[in-house]
Amino acid sequence: MVLAIAVLGVLLVWPLSSIFTASFIDNTTREPTLGNYARVLGQPYFQAALGNSLIVGVGGMLGAMLLGVPLAALTARYVIVGRDFLATLAVLALVSPPFIGAYAWIMMLGRNGFVRLPLEEMGIEVPSIYGYFGIILVFSLKFYPFVFLLASSSLRTINPSVEEAAEGLGAGPWRRFFGVTLPLVFPAVSAGALLTFVLSLADFGTPAIVGGKVRVLATTAYNLFTSEMTGNPGLASATSVVLIVLSLVVVVLQRASVRRRNVAGNLIRKSAPKQLGPLASAAAHVVCYSIVLASSLPSLVVMYTSFRKTSGPVFKPGYGLDSYERILREVPQVIGNSATYSLISVALIVILGSLIGYLVARSESRIAGFLDSALFIPYIVPGVVLGLAFVVTFNVKPIEITGTATIIVLMLFIRRLPYSVRSSASILKQIRGSIEEAAVSLGASPARAFMKITLPLMLPGIVAGALMSFITAINELSSSLILYVGRTMTMPVRIYLSVLDGEFGTAAALSTILLVASGVAVYVVYWVSGRNESAFV
Amino acid sequence: MARVDLKRICKRYPGVIALDDVELTVAPGEFFTLLGPSGCGKTTLLRTIAGFNRQDSGEILFDGTRIDTMPAHLRNIGMVYQDYAIFPHKSVADNVAFGLAMRHTARSEIDARVTRALDVVQLGGLATRMPHELSGGQQQRVALARAMVINPQILLMDEPLSNLDAKLRVELRDDIRDLQRSLGITTIYVTHDQEEALVISDRICIMQGGRVHQVAAPLEVYSRPATLFVASFVGSMNVFERLPVGPGGEVTIGAVTGTLPALAGRAQVTLAMRPEDVILSGAGEDAGEAIPLDGAVDKVTYAGREAFYRLTCADGLRILAHVSRPDQGRLAAVGERLAMALPLARLHAFDPADGRRVEVHP
Repeated sequence: MVLAIAVLGVLLVWPLSSIFTASFIDNTTREPTLGNYARVLGQPYFQAALGNSLIVGVGGMLGAMLLGVPLAALTARYVIVGRDFLATLAVLALVSPPFIGAYAWIMMLGRNGFVRLPLEEMGIEVPSIYGYFGIILVFSLKFYPFVFLLASSSLRTINPSVEEAAEGLGAGPWRRFFGVTLPLVFPAVSAGALLTFVLSLADFGTPAIVGGKVRVLATTAYNLFTSEMTGNPGLASATSVVLIVLSLVVVVLQRASVRRRNVAGNLIRKSAPKQLGPLASAAAHVVCYSIVLASSLPSLVVMYTSFRKTSGPVFKPGYGLDSYERILREVPQVIGNSATYSLISVALIVILGSLIGYLVARSESRIAGFLDSALFIPYIVPGVVLGLAFVVTFNVKPIEITGTATIIVLMLFIRRLPYSVRSSASILKQIRGSIEEAAVSLGASPARAFMKITLPLMLPGIVAGALMSFITAINELSSSLILYVGRTMTMPVRIYLSVLDGEFGTAAALSTILLVASGVAVYVVYWVSGRNESAFV
Repeated sequence: MARVDLKRICKRYPGVIALDDVELTVAPGEFFTLLGPSGCGKTTLLRTIAGFNRQDSGEILFDGTRIDTMPAHLRNIGMVYQDYAIFPHKSVADNVAFGLAMRHTARSEIDARVTRALDVVQLGGLATRMPHELSGGQQQRVALARAMVINPQILLMDEPLSNLDAKLRVELRDDIRDLQRSLGITTIYVTHDQEEALVISDRICIMQGGRVHQVAAPLEVYSRPATLFVASFVGSMNVFERLPVGPGGEVTIGAVTGTLPALAGRAQVTLAMRPEDVILSGAGEDAGEAIPLDGAVDKVTYAGREAFYRLTCADGLRILAHVSRPDQGRLAAVGERLAMALPLARLHAFDPADGRRVEVHP
C-alpha cells in the first residue's frame, strides 16, 4: 500500500504538479505569472488550436459512434456470418498505433496516393487528406472498436424479456428502441464516446502526420516545448494544463450522466441473434464488412508496402525484402530498444498492477478507493503532457534521468499501469471472498491461501492485462518522442521520423513488425481470456 | 467434538450494533442453529467464531481454551458456505485434499481419507471431476466433505442450503443431519429458514438486532416462544396487540371477554394464538374454556394437506385459522360466516413493553 502510493506520488503527482507550477512561471523573467494562461486563452493562435482540438475530438467521437454503434447493434441482434472474424479485425485495428493509420491513408489518399490518382483520372474529386478530414477519418476508423466492444457487450447483457415486456405493453419497434434499449446501453455507449473523445484529444501522431495546417493542443504543446527558436516551457505547460482540464471536464460530465442512469442488468435469459430476410441480411453484411474492412485497410496497405522494392526512399516496381534489410542494417537497436523497454515496463506493471488490483478489489479502506481514482489519471493525461511533465520534473537532482532508458521505461510503466490494475481488480471481484476464506478455514495461512488459490485464479486476468499493457507500451509514440535521445529511440519514434522524411519503406517495415507483435499479443489475450473481446477495453 | 463457550461477545459497526452481549454455550456434539432475519447478527457471530471477524469484546472458548486470539487458519474449524466456495481450478479430490495438504498429511493417508470422505457424501465416483461439471447440490457435498475430512473441532455452516432448489434442499438437509449425528461433530448452523431450523437442530438460538431472544429445543421454541418476536418469526401467529386488562385479568378479543387470572394487576397485555389452535365449529374438538367468536371468511388458501381461512370478526378483528385435512370435508367459501373458539389455554401472553413472555397457564 505504501509502495503503491509512493510510486503514484513520484511518477504521477509530482510530475503533474511540476507542470502545473511551470505553467505559472514567466519564460524570460522566471517570475510567477498568469500571463501564460492569458496567452493560451486569449491569443488567436492558441484559440485556434483549442478550437481544432475540440473539432477533431468531437469529430472523432461522432465518427467512432457512427461506425461503432451500428456495427454493435447489427452483430448483437442479427445473424452476421463471420461475426467473430469481424470482431477480431476490429480488435486488431484497435491495437495498431493510430499514426500507422495516418500515414497509410496518406499513401492512399495523399497528393500522389495510389487510390487518389486513379480516382482523379476517372474525374472523381477526393477531399485533401491533410487537415480536418484526414484527422477525423483516421480517428473514426481507429477508435470505433472501443464503441463497438463496449456497446456490444452491453447489448448482450440486456435481458430480451425486458424488450418483450415493452412490446407487450404496446410499444412499437421505434418506441422500444428509444424508450428501453437505448437507455439501457447508454452508460456503455457514452463510456465509449468519452473514451474516443479523450483519445482523440490526446492523440499526437495523427494530427502531426496528416494535420497539415490544422494545429491541435497536443501538437502545439509539443512544438512549444521542442522548438529551439520559440521554445517556451511555461507556455507549453499552460497548454498541457488546458488539455488536461478539458479531458477532465468531459470525464466528469460523462460519469455524472451515467451515475443517474445506473441500470442493473440481470441475465436470466440471454438473447439469441435473429435471422434477417435475404435483402436486409445482405445489406447488414455489407454495412458490417465495409466498416471493418475500411478500418483494416491501413494495416494491409502498410504490410503490402513493406514488401515492395525500394531504392532509398523511392518505391520501385516489384517485391522484395529491401526495406527489412535496410532497417536491420540501419536501425537494429531501435527494435531492441522497443522490445526491452516494453518488456521491462510490463514486468514492473504486472507486479505492482496485480498488487494494487488486489488492494482496490479487496480492501475497503479509503486509500484503496483513492488509488482506484488516482489510476484514472493516466487515462486522461495525454502522452505529450506526461512526457513534458517528466522532462520538467526529472532533469534536475535528486532524480536526473532525462535522456536515459530509465525515464522511458518509467513513463511506459505509469502510462500503462491502469490496464493491469483494472484487469486484475475486475477478475478478483469475480472471485468470491468466501473461496479465500474457505482455504483459510482449512488451515492455509492468508499468504498461503493467496498463493495457492487466489493467484492461480487471477492468472488469466493478469496475463490479459500484461499483454494489453505490452501492446500499448510497444506502440507508444507521443511521450517517447519527447523523452528519447538518439540511443534510446524506439520503433514508433523511428516510424514517425521516417514518415516525416518520406522514407515510407522503412516506416512500413517497422510498422509491420509492430503490427505482427501486437497481433500475436492479441491472439494470446483471446486465448487466455476465452474469446472475450471486452478484455480489450 | 468440542464444547463451545461464547462469553459476552460484542461487535459494533458504524451505526449498527451487530452483536449485543451474546452469551452462549454449545454442548459437545450438538447441532446448534442460529436463526433470525437477515441483519440479525447470526452470520457475523458465525464469522467471529471462525476468525474472519474480530469481536470488539468478549471471549470464545473451545473446550475451555480461548481461541479468539488465534488466527483463523489455526482454529481447526470446518466451514461450509452458502455459495459453496469450491476452488474452481481444482478437481473434486484436490478440493477435499486441500486441508489435509495444509496439515502436511502423508500422501497415502490423504488419498485414503479423501476417498472415504467422498464416499460418505455419496460422491464416490466423481473424484476426478472439475467443479464446473457438478450441480449445485454436488458442489455443496464436496464442500461438506472438504470441511469434514480435516476432523475439525467444530463445523460451521452459513446457510448451506439456500442456493439449492426445494427438493434438493430437503434431501441434503437430511443427509447433513445424519452425517453430523454419525460423526458426532459439534455443529453451528446459520439459517433464516425457520422450518429448516426446526427440522435440523438439537437447539435453536433465535436472534434479532444482535441480541439473543431465546435458546431452546425446537419444540420449546415453537410451543413456548420466549418473546413476541420469536412467536411471530417461528411459524405464524395471530397477534392481538396491547389489549387493556381488567382488574381480575379480564381481556376482550373481538367484543368477547375472557378471564386470565394470572394477568390481574397488569394494565395491558399482548396476546397471541397460532392458527392451528383456533378451533372452527364443527371440527368436533372440545375448546374447554374459550372465547367464542364468529366471522366472515374473506380469503381461503388451499395448500393440499392443509388450508387457511382468513376471517374478519366484529371490530374488524382478523383471525387466521388453520384447517388440517381439508380433503376430509367441504372447504368454506369466501363470504361464508363461521363460528370459532379461541381456547384460553392456548393463548400466549407477552408484556407489551419489552415483548417478553408472560406465563398465564399454571
